[in-house]
Amino acid sequence: MTSLRHTRNVLLAGALTLVSVVAAGCSGGGGGGSSSASDKTTGVTITVALPTAPPPQASLDAFTKSTGITVKWTNLDWDSLQTKIAAAATAKTYFADATDVDWSRVGQLSKLNWFYPMEKYLDTTALASQMPQISSFSPGGHVIGIPYDASFLVTTVNKKLFDQAGITSMPTTLDQYTADLRQIKSKGVVQYPLNIPFAAAEGLSTYWYQTTAAFGGTILDANGKPQFATPDTPGYQAAQWMVDAIKQGLVPPGNINVPDTQAQQTLMAKGTVATTFADYSGNVGSLYNVPASSSVVGQVQYLSTPGVSGAGPNMSNPDGIGIPVKAKYPAAAAKFIEWFTSASNQADFAGANGPDKVMPGYFLPSQLAGVTELTEKGKLIGGQQLSDLLKNSAKPIFAQGAPSWYPEFSKSVYTNLHAAATGSMSVADAIKAIASTANELSS
Amino acid sequence: MPQRRSWGRRLGVLFILLWSLVPLYWALNTSLQTDAQISSKPAHYVPPSPTLHNFHSLLVGSGEIPSTIRRSTINIFVECTAATIITVVLATLAAYAFARMKFRGRTLLFYAVLATMAFPAYTTLIPLYRIMSMFSLVNTYTGIVLVYVSGFLPLATWILHSYMTTLPVAIEEAGQVDGAGRMQVLWRIVLPLAWPGVVSTAIITFLFAWAQFLFPLVLSSDDSTQPLTVAIAALQGRHTVPFGLLSSAGVFAIAVPAVIAVLLNRYIVNGLLSGSVK
Repeated sequence: MTSLRHTRNVLLAGALTLVSVVAAGCSGGGGGGSSSASDKTTGVTITVALPTAPPPQASLDAFTKSTGITVKWTNLDWDSLQTKIAAAATAKTYFADATDVDWSRVGQLSKLNWFYPMEKYLDTTALASQMPQISSFSPGGHVIGIPYDASFLVTTVNKKLFDQAGITSMPTTLDQYTADLRQIKSKGVVQYPLNIPFAAAEGLSTYWYQTTAAFGGTILDANGKPQFATPDTPGYQAAQWMVDAIKQGLVPPGNINVPDTQAQQTLMAKGTVATTFADYSGNVGSLYNVPASSSVVGQVQYLSTPGVSGAGPNMSNPDGIGIPVKAKYPAAAAKFIEWFTSASNQADFAGANGPDKVMPGYFLPSQLAGVTELTEKGKLIGGQQLSDLLKNSAKPIFAQGAPSWYPEFSKSVYTNLHAAATGSMSVADAIKAIASTANELSS
Repeated sequence: MPQRRSWGRRLGVLFILLWSLVPLYWALNTSLQTDAQISSKPAHYVPPSPTLHNFHSLLVGSGEIPSTIRRSTINIFVECTAATIITVVLATLAAYAFARMKFRGRTLLFYAVLATMAFPAYTTLIPLYRIMSMFSLVNTYTGIVLVYVSGFLPLATWILHSYMTTLPVAIEEAGQVDGAGRMQVLWRIVLPLAWPGVVSTAIITFLFAWAQFLFPLVLSSDDSTQPLTVAIAALQGRHTVPFGLLSSAGVFAIAVPAVIAVLLNRYIVNGLLSGSVK
């Protein structure tokens, strides 16, 4: 019996020792444990986690030299980063000093009190006049993120294909736009002129929001109640217009399973379709005019949203940067955000002052002054138009910020619209299901 | 009749093969094309002019992407190897104890260990994250390896237990009669006999560890600990998808498990079937 107990102890001790040894030996990387916030703004290293490549090292070095703050940059794809943010917010643990605040998550993140109010560190009121999209990050009266680039939905048209169809003036209303699509198809310029990404994914939801805005409506009211339930509402008409488009052969049938970015890359950038009603701002310069990835260089241009009786609004879908409440160095993170989102740096990152200062994938500043500098220097394709749209017609999708239940709502939107497009349910039933979800979630 | 059944079986096998291999082929096909060729219509079922450009962009040079991929490749090897070694050692000890030693609550304890496999792994994500954070183990090899070990240990213990129970007890008893202690019996008699089972367990554990994404994503903060699977996801742009680069990264990431699976598949099958026939 003694022998048996001894053997057990040996087995246990051996196992624990091994674990301890390997645990000690395997430790790698930086620490990442629990945090206690410090107001230090010099001689510290902050972690910045964003879904984008970092600014040039020289720019970061200059920031470090002027502030004493070293930046450790973590680049993750958007989906993975949102997972990390959700996990950290739920577990209430530190993972970065500054990170992404997406427009669609502000409701959830605000409800979790996961980000510091930015007005604690920056003059957000003054910023608002220069950053039209900051309102997308202000749920409950607090600004929880500063938009670091501008992003909104905008109509793009392949001018060459429109010209080939004999369309000499660009459409300004939805009726003209729809008639032009039919003309392009009937003239045989392209078989399917319109790009709508009908895959059951977020891109379909945002497409519908933008189309609804073009029809003159909104999705939800201030209480989260649906504004699209009856056939006379813009949201309903927008859904009907989108589904009719694919049924009438204006949209490639294969688009049923194509998400937004793929459709832009493989259809719009290849001249297979002539227009995308809800495209990403900046795609002309970053995709359609890049010879390596496009066969329509110089052919695509932005168009003011064709609305019911004139130009409609452009829905904002920007990414912001905020400071999680578990940040180790929130004050230092705020200094970085102030630097990172300054107009001059944004202009540099977008290429206003030479390729050495360009931040990969960055193309449209969130500060109007940055856009103006780029435009004046001729470094932004469609710059004046984008600047005007950003200043005058870019509106938040949800005036009060996205509700905390937005992901569930969006899932209902894209699932049901996808089903309507495939023909497995009617538009009426799809809208009914989406409205029911909104009513349920908001009550 | 047997011939018809044979054709049916062949068709079934062909269908499963196509179902499994076509996506892999498509990834390889895409990885060997330029961006322009990838998005051309109609699609190229065979690379028109095969190029290693994507692999070059991914692996060669001093840019950010090759540097991250190289570092994350080292990370995944370190994490998978460490997790495999620790899991196999602990599982061997545990399996031997459960298979041969008699103590109160043995059966209950064994089934309790097995029952942990029934829990969806993701339900433990947040608690594990909190625990790792509490002990400052987030973004360390230790944290990731410990989580892997905790996740894979029940399965490894089960496989080895199944294997060890098929071994004849008489040989061990003969060893004990000759004066060998428990550890000597385990080391000198049981392990050599159970070696195929140990190898199977190691391979299965390694492959499982290699395929992990969510746990290392949450538990690592930067490229000092991010494994290849997490680093690859970061290649995706905000508004564009680099199909060629992602495909070549995918092909690169599955190369190691594919080689292991092809070369050592008899061990994998052996491990998964151990204990099924006595």
